[in-house]
Amino acid sequence: MTRTAVVICPGRGTFNRSELGYLHRHHAARMDLFHRFDAIRAQHSQEGLIALDGAARFTAGKYSRGDVASPLIYAASLADARALADDIDVVAVTGNSMGWYSALAVAGAVSDETGFRVVNTMGHLMQEHLIGGQLVYPFTDTTWTKATDRKRDLLQDVARIAGLEGHDLALSIDLGGLLVLAGNEAGLAAFEASHPVLQDRFPMRLANHAAFHTPLQAPVAAEGRARLPSSMFCQPVLPLVDGRGSIWWPGASDPDELWNYTLDHQITQTYDFTRAVQTAAREFAPDLFIVTGPGATLGGAVAQSLVLADWRGMTDRAAFLAQQETNPILVAMGRDDQRPIATG
Amino acid sequence: MDRAQIVHDNFLTRVAARDLPSGARPGMALSNTDAVSVFRSQVLSRALDRTSRAMQKAGQGFYTIGSSGHEGMAAVAHALRPTDIAFLHYRDAAFQIARAAQVPGQQIAWDMLLSFACSKEDPTSGGRHKVLGSKKLCIPPQTSTIASHLPKAVGAAYALGAARRNPPEHRELPEDGIAMVSFGDASANHSTAQGAINTAGWTSVQSTPLPLLFVCEDNGIGISVKTPKGWIQASMEHRPGIRYFQADGLDLYEAYAVAKQAADYVRTRRKPAFLHLKTVRLYGHAGADVPTTYLSKSEVEADEANDPLLHSVRLLDQAGALAPEAALKIYTDTCARTDRIAVQAATRPHLANAEQVMVSLIPPKRNCRPDNGPGHTARRSAFGSDIKAMDDPQPMSRLINWALTDLMLEHNEIVCMGEDIGRKGGVYGVTQKLQQRFGQDRVIDTLLDEQSILGLAIGMGHNGFIPIPEIQFLAYLHNAEDQIRGEAATLSFFSNGQFANPMVLRIAGLGYQKGFGGHFHNDNSIAVLRDIPGVVIACPSNGADAARMMRECVRLAREEQRVVVFLEPIALYPMRDLHQAQDGAWMTSYPSPDQRIALGEIGIHGDGTDLAIVTYGNGHFLSHQALSALRAAGLNVRIVDLRWLAPLPAEALRQATKPCQHVLIVDECRRTGSQSEALMAFFSENNSQQPIARVAAEDSFIPTGPAYAASLPSREKIVLAAQALTGAKP
Repeated sequence: MTRTAVVICPGRGTFNRSELGYLHRHHAARMDLFHRFDAIRAQHSQEGLIALDGAARFTAGKYSRGDVASPLIYAASLADARALADDIDVVAVTGNSMGWYSALAVAGAVSDETGFRVVNTMGHLMQEHLIGGQLVYPFTDTTWTKATDRKRDLLQDVARIAGLEGHDLALSIDLGGLLVLAGNEAGLAAFEASHPVLQDRFPMRLANHAAFHTPLQAPVAAEGRARLPSSMFCQPVLPLVDGRGSIWWPGASDPDELWNYTLDHQITQTYDFTRAVQTAAREFAPDLFIVTGPGATLGGAVAQSLVLADWRGMTDRAAFLAQQETNPILVAMGRDDQRPIATG
Repeated sequence: MDRAQIVHDNFLTRVAARDLPSGARPGMALSNTDAVSVFRSQVLSRALDRTSRAMQKAGQGFYTIGSSGHEGMAAVAHALRPTDIAFLHYRDAAFQIARAAQVPGQQIAWDMLLSFACSKEDPTSGGRHKVLGSKKLCIPPQTSTIASHLPKAVGAAYALGAARRNPPEHRELPEDGIAMVSFGDASANHSTAQGAINTAGWTSVQSTPLPLLFVCEDNGIGISVKTPKGWIQASMEHRPGIRYFQADGLDLYEAYAVAKQAADYVRTRRKPAFLHLKTVRLYGHAGADVPTTYLSKSEVEADEANDPLLHSVRLLDQAGALAPEAALKIYTDTCARTDRIAVQAATRPHLANAEQVMVSLIPPKRNCRPDNGPGHTARRSAFGSDIKAMDDPQPMSRLINWALTDLMLEHNEIVCMGEDIGRKGGVYGVTQKLQQRFGQDRVIDTLLDEQSILGLAIGMGHNGFIPIPEIQFLAYLHNAEDQIRGEAATLSFFSNGQFANPMVLRIAGLGYQKGFGGHFHNDNSIAVLRDIPGVVIACPSNGADAARMMRECVRLAREEQRVVVFLEPIALYPMRDLHQAQDGAWMTSYPSPDQRIALGEIGIHGDGTDLAIVTYGNGHFLSHQALSALRAAGLNVRIVDLRWLAPLPAEALRQATKPCQHVLIVDECRRTGSQSEALMAFFSENNSQQPIARVAAEDSFIPTGPAYAASLPSREKIVLAAQALTGAKP
């Protein structure tokens, strides 16, 4: 009997110290794939992924750069998605932020190499421009219970700050119980100044992150479109859920529109990961949500997104944990204890 | 075997065997990608039909009227824009699904399964009914009685043009939008459909913009009665003012191409078109309907052999868009998907109590731009010489006219419509000069069809206007009352407050026209309105009240999106005198435009405690006539003018009658089904200790000639009843 699954590809910030060596540890048999990617990097005089992954030492300054983190994450996600057990029937694919590029490849809307070119190019452009920054702030508490009013109030304050002279601030990613905000320094600082520190770490700035998914990225998006032609895109083989919660269906997707979404709206408008997960749940009702590696931090946002939708009657963290205990629905391949559920 | 299962099995085996029905080759209008997208919508529609039946069998679903056979409507949706307001036939799941594909972020399978499950999380009706509809998809939901949604589609189409010329603050529809309405071949015979189609043509031939696409889904049968062969084409292809198009609904390429042509014609020419889409009906009318009880097996099988999904598979293959194996995989994957989703949707909560059910009976309030009202100059210009007469007492008809003038000056989105209200100024002159003052766009002389008048109002309400339709006589409402009962009043309820069609429906009515007109001009029953949930009924008894109440009614419609009925007692329109000729005691001065009488605010005249007379309309007038005789009998009386008949102003009424020793209800409407019944029940249920009696009209129609008031309450009957109740001697 098959298990239906939605595959979810993580975004930036998931290749950290403990992920160093991820490709070698889990995908020694897929080195040919990484060699192909490294050939592309070599054309641009970039250090190869195999070397980066196999390095002895992790330095945040280097590995959090867009042109390093993005291709590593892409490679790990894609390889993980290819490593699923035979009894798993992938019914849809989605991703968070940069994970959208990985999702495109997992779903077959771009070839492995094309996807790599997209992610490598966009990671490079993001790093090169590095316009603005991001911070994270929660609107749910640690129980994950719904806090609609709290979210609304925070977003109203974001709008207030965005209205101030010289301030840019917008919702970058709707990320489960978290809001990822992006803007210029003035906008981010104004938000930090007006909201208390929560859980000893929020508001948390994300190092080497730009103001992704906001209009500030319009120049990056334009350059991406100039460098990456629409002919690189094709029909997905699997349904793809994007950062609006829209589904790109196999056979029914216009590659030009997919290209346009990927290199315009997706870059310059809010990425609604919460909606993406909820669409994946409600429109595909899978047995499993499989978050590919590297890392496992996206699992929290997936779980929160499901809880916010009362999926399977889960209304808080305790209910989610109870569900996981009896019949796990969320599998993070970046976690050694859960990975075997996905890989068989 | 269940026909749904037979159709399913046929699809699986015939596609696998490439045994597909023959037909014309695919046209060129659809790209491969678009064709597959339309096919996917068709398949999801079919899968949902199957799942809904399974849910019903499992006690988890509550609706089984399917769309199978009508999947060609997905191609029609694809030919329209998602901002084109669509009033859908109940077999149009494929249309809604295909439209959802045009709007980012939709969760259409989940949403529709929630509606089958009647979950309160159903984003359309909030669990009140299985309705097609969606705010985001510009599909107002309805549980249409037969064809009752057609008149408002005509109204919405008119409103598209009207909003171009006079954009209202709360405009909903885009300037280049069109309206679409779909219905079955059997429904096309309904007088409501015929009236709406006739109105569209009547409007079109006068070159008034009416961008409306009628879509008749002709499956050849209405439940069990066959439509005569060729009937729809014969009866519709030569309608004046309406361009006829015909397409094979089994052929998604042709359906799309012709629908696109028709939509382009409507959009560019701003004229109505009639798209005759030939379909088949699979499975019978609904889940419990077994078609082989009234059709021969061979007829049923002939339709099944023409399953539009089988045709789609053939066409997609011939076009090189999709191989049959891939089509089959889409079908099986989709069926499995809807089954999985249904398991989850069935667990979602339902409405639990009356309060939850009723919360959307009344639409939500909306914010309106503040307005200081018209300036002095604008008023002088609009009123002309009338402004000099404003300091003098006037009869009610004139004060209503002035109130309407002020309101139309203040709110550009008010539009009046009705028979003879424009050039003639109304049969009683209430709307005199309004067309001169505000133009034909805002004071519309309609054709003689009350359903169309109310449909026009509903449709205009959908696009942000505040319609003030007029029904010329109360008795004329009855042929059209479903437009209020079944449509206008239910919209907020069935859309969970997401759609509203505010209006102030003016109705001239009630009795006492001296010997004129008989029953049909003196109808004295409003039972047809009183029991409609959510509808406000106002009934003024004098000019000043009428003006102030009209302002409140417009506020209720404009700010609270309410459906309001403003019942105007015809006999009081010209009334000047109360007791004797020339006393002028029933005339009032025009209250300044800032004055309103709030909903639920009753009129209390006098402070007597021997007797409270509870009345309204003409009864209020007659009660005042009776006052002198009652006083002569030693009774200290107070007269309570209800003003608002629905909702009953219960608390105000309780307070007003509490000090009184007796309560006499005076009701000019018929004894059965009238306000007096409700008032008797009210006092009884509130344990009122006072003796109560009523004077009501007899259960009779009203004659013409000298006996015009014989069956109605009179001054004398009131006096006698009061004496009998109180024991007072004359």
